Amino acid sequence: MSWRSLTNSKTAPIASRPQSSALEAQGRRSRWSATAREGGAVAMATRARPWQLCSAGSAGAVALATSGAASAEGPGRPGQLQDETLGVASVPSQWRGVQGIRGKTKGCQTASIATAEACAQTQKHADAEVQTEAPVPAGVLPASQHDSPRLAAFLRRVEAIVIRELNKNWQSHAFDGFEVNWTEQQQTVTCLHTLGYPPAQGQGLHVTGVSWNTTGSVVACAYGRLDDGDWSTLRSFVCAWNLDRRSLNPRQPSVVVEVPSAVMSLAFHPTQPSHIAGGLYSGEVLVWDLSRPEDPLLWRTGLTDDTHTDPVYQVVWLPERRHSHRFQVLSVATDGKVLLWQGVGAGQLQLTRGFALVMQQLPRNTKLRKPHRGETEVGATAVAFSSFDPSLFVLGTEGGFPLKCSLAAEEAALTRMPASVPLRAPAQFTFSPHGGPVYSVSCSPFHRNLFLSAGTDGHVHLYSMLQAQPLTSLQLSHKYLFAVRWSPVRPLVFAAASGEGDVQLFDLQKSSQKPTVLIKQTQDESPVYCLEFNCQQTQLLAAGDAKGTVKVWQLSTEFTEQGPRETEDLDQLAAEVAI
Amino acid sequence: MTEVEETLKQLQSQKGMQVPLVVNTEGIPTTTQDTTTTDNPTTTQDASLMYSFILKVRSTIHDTDPQNDLIFLQIRSKKNEIMVAPDKDYFLIVIQNPTEQAALSAPGVVP
Repeated sequence: MSWRSLTNSKTAPIASRPQSSALEAQGRRSRWSATAREGGAVAMATRARPWQLCSAGSAGAVALATSGAASAEGPGRPGQLQDETLGVASVPSQWRGVQGIRGKTKGCQTASIATAEACAQTQKHADAEVQTEAPVPAGVLPASQHDSPRLAAFLRRVEAIVIRELNKNWQSHAFDGFEVNWTEQQQTVTCLHTLGYPPAQGQGLHVTGVSWNTTGSVVACAYGRLDDGDWSTLRSFVCAWNLDRRSLNPRQPSVVVEVPSAVMSLAFHPTQPSHIAGGLYSGEVLVWDLSRPEDPLLWRTGLTDDTHTDPVYQVVWLPERRHSHRFQVLSVATDGKVLLWQGVGAGQLQLTRGFALVMQQLPRNTKLRKPHRGETEVGATAVAFSSFDPSLFVLGTEGGFPLKCSLAAEEAALTRMPASVPLRAPAQFTFSPHGGPVYSVSCSPFHRNLFLSAGTDGHVHLYSMLQAQPLTSLQLSHKYLFAVRWSPVRPLVFAAASGEGDVQLFDLQKSSQKPTVLIKQTQDESPVYCLEFNCQQTQLLAAGDAKGTVKVWQLSTEFTEQGPRETEDLDQLAAEVAI
Repeated sequence: MTEVEETLKQLQSQKGMQVPLVVNTEGIPTTTQDTTTTDNPTTTQDASLMYSFILKVRSTIHDTDPQNDLIFLQIRSKKNEIMVAPDKDYFLIVIQNPTEQAALSAPGVVP
């Protein structure tokens, strides 16, 4: 259509104003053809019939042509359809303009920063070295020449008054029977805590060992079974409770360590509050660090040639000979070996010294029953070290006779058991036997010669190191006795755990025939297997039984406070050695 | 010297006597010719403990009444009795077990 071309030609350059450009174009053409058709041009603007424009003349056509229109048709004929590009028709935006930019200016400024300049410089410095020296005992002044007359004069002055007072005291009865109680008196024995670990109790495990740690606030117990005859693959646990924590839950130990084999004995480290050693049914000795719950195992013996081949019934920590702050672990087992282990790097316990008990090498001072053929090893079931002589120890054996042994023994053991260090025969003296295996020995902390042993015959024997026959023999139970311990504070008191389910406390000062206190630990007479006194909090006694519970007993004051003459009475008891 | 020793021995021979100990004004035990037990660390520790205690008692009495002063101190404990005779330069400390029937053997003269 021609009108299309017209508008296009004119609107192409000015796309946004078609109407005005049409008018403009119209204006131009009207100049040309104004003479010819003025009215028509005006009419052109108002009417939408542009074919009349084309009929305006050749001038219009020329104008069309010059402006780039492609139409070349003659006037008066509607234009042919042609392909033309149309311009962009755009509609002015209504909203954009309205929106505009609404902006506000805001300014802010920080308060001016206060600065100050200061400088410091050390003027001078001095180097000083400090070194501690080993503490020298406070100087003992030698009384030099010029002091002695004054000293003599002083003594002369005071001698009379002191002697007078001494004599007065000696005859005075002012304080007879006068006693002061500084602490609260506890009249009876009460059970403070009943601790247990339900998964272990559910498996029917027994508590085979208890131990208090060096601070006296944590009690650990080992689970296992004491009545297993053959090789056991029971998984067991070592649980520890911190009794000083307020959040103590008796059913939930603060630390639980899973152990692949049954643990037969436990011993806490004497100075490190979290290290604990355990002897296993498989013959291994392990040391755990309870302060690392994700990986508590510190050292292990592993299953080497050195390891015990039988269950380890007791482990003890010993100070090293030269470095008394470092400790080694001693283990005794029924294969007749007593082994001393040292923890070396990479978690391995290495054998440093070993002893083997062989039947033929036992001292012959006591008549023992003839050993069966082929039985050469003497199984050890308990060990106790003397508090007065660190190299002297007493072993309890399966044969029922305690042995006095020494760490310093030099004689080589006649055994064919392989070991990386030479095994020696430690026994020096044999005591007369019980009627059955000895399960526990304990050396008195107050007298160097006395020790107790308890065995399956239900008797407790009080021995002196000087003679083979026991000083006294007490029958405590008709069943086995599993543990016996001297009290750490009262020289004449000891406790024994029996197979009848009770803990018997004996005070030799009161009565040497029957127990002073009988504590029933279990209701159904299942045996109590282990007990330990707490050396820091001396009124506490922990005992573990076959039901898997550990009971912490608080003893009455009579068991924790020393009487006036106990040490002398103990000496007297020890002196009843038959010559 | 010998007079000192004699006096100390006589003190020690009293009934129930355990240890006579002479401490000087700095709290250090003095010794005589007999030096068998001079290296006893517990004695020096006891001496220093007793020394600070004696000074405290003396100052307590003196502060309560400036005209008053300490002349003798006796402490009765469960196991024994401790007696102190104070003076300007020295203190004499003796320990006695009053309920003893047989005198304990004293571990040598520990001045």
